[in-house]
Amino acid sequence: MKAVLEIKNLKMYYDTQAGQVKAADDISFSLYEGESMGLVGESGCGKTSVSMSIMRLLPENARIISGNIFFGGKDIVKLSNEEMNKIRWAGISMIFQAAMNSLNPVYRVGDQIIEAITTHEPDVTFEEARQRVASLYKLVGLDPERMDNYPHEYSGGMKQRAVIAMSLACNPKLIIADEPTTALDVIVQDTILRELEKIQKKLNMSMIYISHDIAVIAEVASKIAIMYAGKIVEMSDSVTIFKRPAHPYTVGLMSSFPSIRGAKKELVTIPGEPPNLLNAPDHCRFAPRCPFATDECWKKEPSYEEIEDNHFVACFHPQNLKKQVRANAG
Amino acid sequence: MPDEIVLKVENLSKFFPMKKSVFSRAKHFLHAVDNLNFQIEKGKVLSLVGESGCGKTTTGKTILKLYEPTGGKITFLGKDVTHLHETEDKKWFHSKTQMIFQDPFESLNPRKTIFDIVAEPMNIQNFGTLRKRELMVMDILKRVGISPPDAFLWRYPHELSGGQRQRVAIARALVMKPEFVVADEPTSMLDVSIRTQVMKLMMELIKEMNMSFLYITHDLAVARYMADEISVMYLGRMVEYANSEELINNPLHPYTKALISAVPVPDPEFKRKSVEIKGGIGKPIDPLPRCRFYDRCPFAMEICNQKEPELLDVGQNHKVACFLYKKDGGTIA
Ligand SMILES: Nc1ncnc2c1ncn2[C@@H]1O[C@H](COP(=O)(O)OP(=O)(O)O)[C@@H](O)[C@H]1O
Ligand SMILES: Nc1ncnc2c1ncn2[C@@H]1O[C@H](COP(=O)(O)OP(=O)(O)O)[C@@H](O)[C@H]1O
Ligand code: SF4
Ligand code: SF4
Ligand SMILES: [Mg+2]
Ligand SMILES: [Mg+2]
Repeated sequence: MKAVLEIKNLKMYYDTQAGQVKAADDISFSLYEGESMGLVGESGCGKTSVSMSIMRLLPENARIISGNIFFGGKDIVKLSNEEMNKIRWAGISMIFQAAMNSLNPVYRVGDQIIEAITTHEPDVTFEEARQRVASLYKLVGLDPERMDNYPHEYSGGMKQRAVIAMSLACNPKLIIADEPTTALDVIVQDTILRELEKIQKKLNMSMIYISHDIAVIAEVASKIAIMYAGKIVEMSDSVTIFKRPAHPYTVGLMSSFPSIRGAKKELVTIPGEPPNLLNAPDHCRFAPRCPFATDECWKKEPSYEEIEDNHFVACFHPQNLKKQVRANAG
Repeated sequence: MPDEIVLKVENLSKFFPMKKSVFSRAKHFLHAVDNLNFQIEKGKVLSLVGESGCGKTTTGKTILKLYEPTGGKITFLGKDVTHLHETEDKKWFHSKTQMIFQDPFESLNPRKTIFDIVAEPMNIQNFGTLRKRELMVMDILKRVGISPPDAFLWRYPHELSGGQRQRVAIARALVMKPEFVVADEPTSMLDVSIRTQVMKLMMELIKEMNMSFLYITHDLAVARYMADEISVMYLGRMVEYANSEELINNPLHPYTKALISAVPVPDPEFKRKSVEIKGGIGKPIDPLPRCRFYDRCPFAMEICNQKEPELLDVGQNHKVACFLYKKDGGTIA
């Protein structure tokens, strides 16, 4: 398999009057062709910051301090703005958080997608672009006849489908979907997730799904990265993350969700609140909330390591490892 | 008394007029809440679930007199409170009921200190001396996990995190030990780890104070965890009502079935079947006298287009409004 995206030790900080916000702190992961990855974490942990770094759409006060983002053999971090413009939408596209509310209300929805196409592919004629939008509409489950309607004539779910159609407009290799269904009701969410999954398989695209909802991620992602306070603290295939979570934060997260399947379980709470990323400490960022913390955890940061095949964790005392499971069973 | 009825709602409706301008008379009405019947016993939690726009918030606000009902009757602690005219009656009703809102950023006055916010229900009721109020505020703050309370008394909402603000909102609602509380999506703005903390806290307080709750949520898993009974709403109507476990494990109404099957499952090895209903949700403006789920229902029959199904008990206090089922059990098929 070929890596479509490879991020190595990415550090992206925001400068603020109060100090430095370490929003993406030493992030590394690879994404292969046709693979879908879930990026999970609570709000403020840095999910959007990571995706905006990949898109190189960062605000003035943001700085990529170090690291590489390889896409198609090139390091995005080092590209000029013109080169980056070519990659954006055509190579990597993004479904922004709450994007359905950012459709311009005074333009017809179809025209807004046509414009996205003709901007990035100046050779395409208006009629060709219109044809393409019509087939994109069919792909995402919208009636092409609705192209000439305005955003206010669309329901929330239809707007989100249109935004997905727009993200597909220039045949990207990689799509980043930032909380694509968070604002939607559960039945609409279900149809949109199915649609996205189908399209991703059909076009063999790579996807990064961002969500705070582990149930949504369980259904769409084959591999999962858990973020906490600006860092990826654990990454593996979905089944390992759900069945044998190693990082204490992941362990807590997995048992703190109520579910409608199976017997009603007692919910486990993670005490305390996520830390402020301003002037981050140099010990484990989860230590104040961690039931397994020892002196070591308060002295230095755990490094991010492959503790089992394809299972990466940043913790001095990882849980549920195969060896431990066997030891416990025997 | 174990089976004391705290709240009883009969044929409750709230219609909103759709006016073109302030001068024209409304010809069309949005039936936000249409003919609801239910009751809540002392110490019990009833959850209202359904997709946005189905009428959950309007139901809660109408019960708490934030809206004047269009029709029906509300009985609270045995007293008819549908229309409260006397100041004394209003004061009594509002001293025994409270509402917790979804957004802790909006529901707390930004210019008031935490002490003033939590003490407000006592001030309105002219309750206790300043010293007494201080003690009660400290007490409830400690109870909701704002500690040490004296470190927070003189702070303002913007100095608190979202989770802390919602704890303060809960403290304010519960400081006078109300009999009945409407909680409208109280945890849906909170982050996962904080949400679980706040849910557990509310459960503990409900048990401890033996309160009755109307718990509004769009999340069936949250309803299952919080509520004794769950009631599903669709376009202003109650379509199903049952004990929580019964409703989750044995849903009857085609809409409830769709709703339950659409909930994502936190297990990557579980392959969920997709929902099989058509189209999207509309608005109940001048609804036709037929089943409101008619145009989306995979089982729709002739009769469903001719009249509205009533909410009937099909056995063991499981109620459903659908022509597929008959009173006291049995299906027509
Ligand atoms: N433009 C900015 N300036 C300063 N801090 C920011 C800026 N944007 C985001 N942050 C901070 O960076 C952290 C990560 O934010 P974000 O990436 O949006 O998290 P998530 O998407 O996981 O909710 C948060 O603490 C947030 O407050
Ligand atoms: N003050 C109001 N005026 C007019 N229509 C309203 C008002 N409040 C709610 N509605 C309408 O009533 C219906 C029910 O709304 P609401 O009770 O807020 O639903 P929910 O809380 O289930 O999302 C919706 O169609 C909504 O647009
Ligand atoms: S390093 Fe220590 S404090 Fe951090 S998560 Fe692991 S056990 Fe807990
Ligand atoms: S009454 Fe008829 S249309 Fe309505 S839910 Fe039942 S079967 Fe479907
Ligand atoms: Mg975000
Ligand atoms: Mg509501």
